[in-house]
Amino acid sequence: MEDKIKEEASRDNYRQEPKVGVYVCHCGGNISDIIDVKAVAAALAKYPGVVVAREYAFMCSSNGQDLIADDIKNLGVNRTVVAACSPSLHELTFRGVLQRAGVNPYLHEHINIREQASWVHKADHAGATAKAIKLAQAGVEKVLRKDALNAIRVAAEQRVAVIGGGVAGMRAALSAAGKGLEAVILEKAPRLGGKLLELGKMYPSGEEGPAVAAKLEALVRAEKKITVHTGAGIEFVSGFVGNFVVNFKNPDGRMEQVKAGAIVMATGYEHYKPHNGEFGYGEAANVVTLPEFLALMKKSPAGRLALAGQEIKSLALIHCVGSRQVEGVHKPQADGKVNDYCSRVCCSSALYAANQVKEKYPGVRIYDIYRDIRTYGMQHEEYYDKASKDGVLFLRHNEADQPVVTSDRTGHLVKVKDVLTWGEELELKADLIVLVTGMMPSDISLIRSQMKLPASADRFLQEVHPKLRPVELANSGIFVAGTAQYPMDVPEAMASAGTAAAKAAILLAEPDIPLEPFVAVVDEHKCTGCGLCPAECSYDGALMMTEKNGKKLAQVNPALCKGCGACVAVCPTRAINVAGWTLDQFDAMVAAIAKE
Amino acid sequence: MTHRKILIITTNHSSYPGADAVGQARMGYDANTYIIRVPDPVMFPEDFYLNAFDKGIGGIIIMSSGSDCPYEGAYERLSKRVARVYEQMKAKGIAANRLKLTTICTVCRAAFLKEISEMQKAVASV
Repeated sequence: MEDKIKEEASRDNYRQEPKVGVYVCHCGGNISDIIDVKAVAAALAKYPGVVVAREYAFMCSSNGQDLIADDIKNLGVNRTVVAACSPSLHELTFRGVLQRAGVNPYLHEHINIREQASWVHKADHAGATAKAIKLAQAGVEKVLRKDALNAIRVAAEQRVAVIGGGVAGMRAALSAAGKGLEAVILEKAPRLGGKLLELGKMYPSGEEGPAVAAKLEALVRAEKKITVHTGAGIEFVSGFVGNFVVNFKNPDGRMEQVKAGAIVMATGYEHYKPHNGEFGYGEAANVVTLPEFLALMKKSPAGRLALAGQEIKSLALIHCVGSRQVEGVHKPQADGKVNDYCSRVCCSSALYAANQVKEKYPGVRIYDIYRDIRTYGMQHEEYYDKASKDGVLFLRHNEADQPVVTSDRTGHLVKVKDVLTWGEELELKADLIVLVTGMMPSDISLIRSQMKLPASADRFLQEVHPKLRPVELANSGIFVAGTAQYPMDVPEAMASAGTAAAKAAILLAEPDIPLEPFVAVVDEHKCTGCGLCPAECSYDGALMMTEKNGKKLAQVNPALCKGCGACVAVCPTRAINVAGWTLDQFDAMVAAIAKE
Repeated sequence: MTHRKILIITTNHSSYPGADAVGQARMGYDANTYIIRVPDPVMFPEDFYLNAFDKGIGGIIIMSSGSDCPYEGAYERLSKRVARVYEQMKAKGIAANRLKLTTICTVCRAAFLKEISEMQKAVASV
């Protein structure tokens, strides 16, 4: 693997008197509502080494970036400190500003005063402001001690591993192949299609789920750049951006390996399974989930809605089963948490199903029992309007007063404390109860633990930023597509898969990926040749002793060094440091923070 | 809240994103906490910590990646180094609870807050 890493040729010998520009972002009000950004800028303007300090509404905007570029051009700023959001979001943005303005991009320091200040010190404006000033001053101390650096490049596999072969996985693979990449789909089920195979007519197109799956599969099978492995049980995922390795077991027990530059997680969802007795589910006859009801409709004869030979003349849809749960009211999941998130797509799905029932079996009475209805999405409100016009009766309850279902041989009695009739307790009879169940993420705990993939509080994979980096995980080179991220419908899953594939294609657009040049470097003037540091290095050949002009010296191979800094701590003269992260920088930062 | 400052050393791969996750969840903690990020805290020699105390830092939490550290052998080396720092702290009369080596992952929000809470108590008695 190490032979794939090389240092970019040096194009920069930047040596000028340091002139620091400090830029404090309001982030709309995300920062400035808590932190007095004017006070921060004013304090930094007086700090040694700083030639200008400004605050601005959105430093990441074009206008904000232009402010920095103008200061580089007009004031000779040659190092920058930006106090804003997390560096994971915009450090690269501001390095880019420096690069475009002709300054080495590594002469920049990004200070986090949003995730680690304004968002966590909401009740302490003065404390947050004082902290922001100290952090920015520490940033100045660090950037004053930085050297110009040159990027390291990692040779990358020009291949995407797509984990999951449902609608999102197939779409992601097709999009990646369309952009010239090889794609390998790893699907644990015996065939492609995922949950699409279970669905009936889908909104908004009216197409049948299996038909859509078949269309996509035909495209996938026809694409020479896509390889499909079904029945593939993933055993181990390892590696890093550009060089991931996915080991999986075939149905015949044979182990195989896929090497990939990027991974798309299209691992999908599971339907919420009501617990035994939840609204009578599993105990009383004729209590089904919405997916089960859709399957039933497919089998039902024309003109007569029937279940196990019994005609269904009335049905009650109960919304928010397994989603928007309330602690203390609902039974928690295995991890002790309730599903307090909204599953988004179930309202539209339920109303679309109700409309289908009314179209096929106009005589069936339908009661729709809900807390809130969220038919988000283009023209989805029409499903609600149509259901209302076709006679679906809506009843609304609040979160504490769940509907109560009692069942006997004659059917079900549903009691609802209906807020639409000012809290009147209504009773209705129904032959069938349909529980509108939510989505839960598929169990991918093995991959998650091996790759340390981040998940949100609702257990779905969590993107870096919902707007700025909506399909990227914090793990570089790993993207998320479809319902592995949050509940979404088929058009949304396809869109997200296309985006994930596009991001993977951008990452792998060149045969090698530029990485940050943070490897150990030796100051030959300070090195005494004591030989303590090579013993600390875990990577063969990365750090050795050599002789130069009759003097013993430590020598780093930047292609093999990982930049951990284990060697740094043992050097008695501080001759060895990790480029961009030197001990002198940290000493100065700590001094700035500690100073009263 | 104490005015003594707490230095939190985080890792690029693990605990720094973990600290971000705390912010993204809008969980709160005191503002006397200063987070710095490094590739791995194994780079700091013993005197880095002692000098930080000398400069006036009340407490230091090293939030490492633990056994999930992406750098081979780094956590073991760090553990041994911190043990040596404790010996030197003892010799200088610095309370041991002012330095804590812990493991924080990208999603360890509750653990992150717990460590801060415990260190607040330690620095309050300095």
